[in-house]
Amino acid sequence: MQLVDKYISYVKAEAIKNPEKSWNKILFGFQANKWRMKLIPNKNLARGYQKLEQMMMSLVSDSLYRKERYVWGNIFAPCELMQCFDLATLSIECLACYMSGYHLEDYFIDYAQDIGIAPTLCSYHKTFVGGVESGVIRSPEYAVTTSLSCDGNLNTFRYLEKKAKVPFTFLDIPYEADAASVSYLADQLREFAKKLEQTTGKKFDENRLRETIVIENETRRELKKFFELQSRHFYPGELISHLYLMMGMHLLIGTQEFLDLIRFMNEDIKNYPLFEGKKILWVHLMPFYQESLKECFGYSKKYQIVGCDMSLDYAKEMDVQKPFEALAEKIIGNLFNGSYSTKAEDIEKLADRLKPDAVIHFCHWGCKQASGGSVLLKERMQERNIPMLILDGDGVDKRNSHDGQIKTRLEAFLEMIETGEGKSC
Amino acid sequence: MLGYVCKYTPTEIFESMGVEMKRIEPEVTSFTQADMKMHPNICSFTKGVLEEALKGEYEGIILTTCCDSIRRLYDVLKTELPDKFIYILDIPRITKDAGIALYEKRIRNLIKAYEEFSGKKFEEKKLEAILESRKEDEQITLKEGEVKVGILGARANDNIAKILKKKGATVAFDLTCTGLNRKCLLEKDQLLTGYTRGLLTQFPCLRMEQAAGREELIRRYSDSVDGVIYHTVQFCDNYSYEYAWLKQNIQVPMLLLETDYTKQSYGQILTRIEAFLESLPVKSREGKIRQGGKDRMYVMGIDSGSTSTNAVIMDQDRNIIASSVIRTGAKSGESAQRVLMEVLEKAGCTREDISWIVSTGYGRVSIPFADENVTEISCHGKGAHYFNPRVRTILDIGGQDSKAIRLNEAGEVTDFAMNDKCAAGTGRFLEMIARTLEIDMDELGPTALQSTEEIEITSMCSVFAESEVISLIANNKEKPDIANGICRAIANKAYSLLKRVGLEAEFMMTGGVAKNPGVVRAVEDKIQNSLYICSEPEIVGATGAALYALTKAGMK
Repeated sequence: MQLVDKYISYVKAEAIKNPEKSWNKILFGFQANKWRMKLIPNKNLARGYQKLEQMMMSLVSDSLYRKERYVWGNIFAPCELMQCFDLATLSIECLACYMSGYHLEDYFIDYAQDIGIAPTLCSYHKTFVGGVESGVIRSPEYAVTTSLSCDGNLNTFRYLEKKAKVPFTFLDIPYEADAASVSYLADQLREFAKKLEQTTGKKFDENRLRETIVIENETRRELKKFFELQSRHFYPGELISHLYLMMGMHLLIGTQEFLDLIRFMNEDIKNYPLFEGKKILWVHLMPFYQESLKECFGYSKKYQIVGCDMSLDYAKEMDVQKPFEALAEKIIGNLFNGSYSTKAEDIEKLADRLKPDAVIHFCHWGCKQASGGSVLLKERMQERNIPMLILDGDGVDKRNSHDGQIKTRLEAFLEMIETGEGKSC
Repeated sequence: MLGYVCKYTPTEIFESMGVEMKRIEPEVTSFTQADMKMHPNICSFTKGVLEEALKGEYEGIILTTCCDSIRRLYDVLKTELPDKFIYILDIPRITKDAGIALYEKRIRNLIKAYEEFSGKKFEEKKLEAILESRKEDEQITLKEGEVKVGILGARANDNIAKILKKKGATVAFDLTCTGLNRKCLLEKDQLLTGYTRGLLTQFPCLRMEQAAGREELIRRYSDSVDGVIYHTVQFCDNYSYEYAWLKQNIQVPMLLLETDYTKQSYGQILTRIEAFLESLPVKSREGKIRQGGKDRMYVMGIDSGSTSTNAVIMDQDRNIIASSVIRTGAKSGESAQRVLMEVLEKAGCTREDISWIVSTGYGRVSIPFADENVTEISCHGKGAHYFNPRVRTILDIGGQDSKAIRLNEAGEVTDFAMNDKCAAGTGRFLEMIARTLEIDMDELGPTALQSTEEIEITSMCSVFAESEVISLIANNKEKPDIANGICRAIANKAYSLLKRVGLEAEFMMTGGVAKNPGVVRAVEDKIQNSLYICSEPEIVGATGAALYALTKAGMK
């Protein structure tokens, strides 16, 4: 462990001192970590979560080695289309998290703020912009973003296009979920496929997209099953395991490998004992580094996160016959799009299925859409007698999350649900 | 009356139906409702609109899907005001034909919804008449004047323009969405399509995809003004990207000005704009100079800060004759009167011997006996240059704000950065922590110097930092180590301010916090350079003010 910590400190210092030369050291660390996860997996984790961790680490570490093999995206970018061109999608939010593995997030965030980026912007975006600006993060040949849910997307990618010369496709996601919106977005997606044809020199095969969607539908069905099983069985994970699952559902969905993993998890979980503690439904992002939360939910027989809204932010079947319209419908129908009441309804449905004892809504610093609706969601949960806790913090910047405060709020909340008295706090 | 917020709102449609349309420009004193019903970390404009809307003066409110905060505002208003016409209009970000076609559909749906709500009927003919009368292109022109300032960035209320006007500057252009004229297109054979096209193809705001033409125009315009004010709204992040980009790519002096739509922020806006104007080419000042002392001439500078009020009397040869520092009481005017008496006594002069008095600092406008006021930013620049002409970068940490100021060889301010409305990294913050540690404010620095263990205070917010300190105390950490952690937190904050103006040596620190050896050491460690500190760091601003007075009296 000491060796790992030393390497992390060494890379951080190098990235600050010689940013241009640090990239390969960063990638080497990712590779080493991938092999460590494969050869000496964390035995405390359920086997499914071990495999998931390895898969996500491989996605990032293997893709980054070849810039022509991946695109930058945001978490809602349609990775299905990229898969048709054998391209991986690395979302900037996900990369920001991996960079924080080297504790570089504070340096990058300060870097971005020093050049004038707003301190109140989402920390994932600040980390990423700072990483590129400082010369540490290297660029691929193309990028894609959507306007779904997050204001920062268009402006971050536009900025990166200027600064790092990475051209990008912008997908404008309409707010209203109607036929006009679907055809408006489907046309943009067709254009985007053409753009990828030009960029990669490969021909687009619509049948391949159909096959991807068949797998995607199956994966989502399996995930719903998994959430239900996880609400019955103890399946030891860490806080970050749930984040990996969320990343996988956005960046790897549609691949056979990911479907096989979820299927494996569904079989594996049945070998574990029944879960008798309190079941938590998590809403929004996870501050994977937060000590108190890690302690509370890591391998815990008392409190288990049984599902997260972000992993199942679209729950319907996609129409295989009209793949572009299906993709458009999926993006527009995402619970982060449209009015908050749609989101609340989707979370209610999830709650009805998983019957959690409580909901925890994490308000990530800079995420206006999550914070702005949190009170409304609390009221909706109250109507169903599900206690809900709103936690303020930051998904990646430790300086915006005060552990003492989170600990107090969390513990008081858990004490409250233990007694079965509470409604919300 | 219907309220609206966004320039892409089809207001003419409603006017044609006889509805009064009002663009909501909130100016509030608190965000009580918004903090409760939404969340404190939401864009201040949005919170202001919520406060305004809940007053109930509007028949309804038309919002647009312009940003995350406004989208959530819609959800809250819809719940809070179920009987009113609360509508969110989905605006495409693409301005090509596909976007126009989609937006036209959205507008038609809006018309239908309002017809159902109000019983009124929309008639194309009436809209045509309105468009006919307003048929003009959105006119973006450059105005002339002696000192020309352009306004860019996020929507701004008219305070900025008012202040500029009052200070004799011309608003040469205002490209914020509230500063632009409306663009009405009239296409008789397809009235609504043409009208929609006109709306969508206005000068693009940063949520739109086609913002490229924007940059070209901004570059061209910026070249022909003396300075640019780049306005952003607290917790609105979209515009900071453009600011960051322009800062690296245009030459003209630019001020980043963040506002939060509260009445209280006016003072802070005023200081920043004044200091900015002062840093631009000098304008002539008015006023009559008194004769002053018989043999020698004396001037006075007075700096009314939040913690201390400081005064300096200077003679015609730039010698400091006397200086005084007193604690500021509840009323800055009274403290000023006290310091005036004290410094006059020390100098052995009377009020009549003083030819000209310049006031500076937060309370500068509340000093009745001052002949003129100049911002503390310009005064610190001048004062620092007086004490040490080699100084290029000043760090001033006072009671309620901290600033980094960059000077040129002549001691003129070329750039500055100020902390936002937040106590983190200021003297108040140190006072709060000293209280928590149960030590005297003056002891905090010396205590920090005895530290043996490095403690990281990670919270950037002063309130969080205080509770972090309390947890450290609970964990039996040593006071010197905590004190040093706090000093380093201040230094980190200061460092990012300094970086914003460039880290050119030599460095000087001014303000009350410069007397704290713990902070001084931490800042020196961070910048890896030494700080020049004059014997009384609290009088640098007042000295600068006295120098302004001397210039005024023609004795520089």
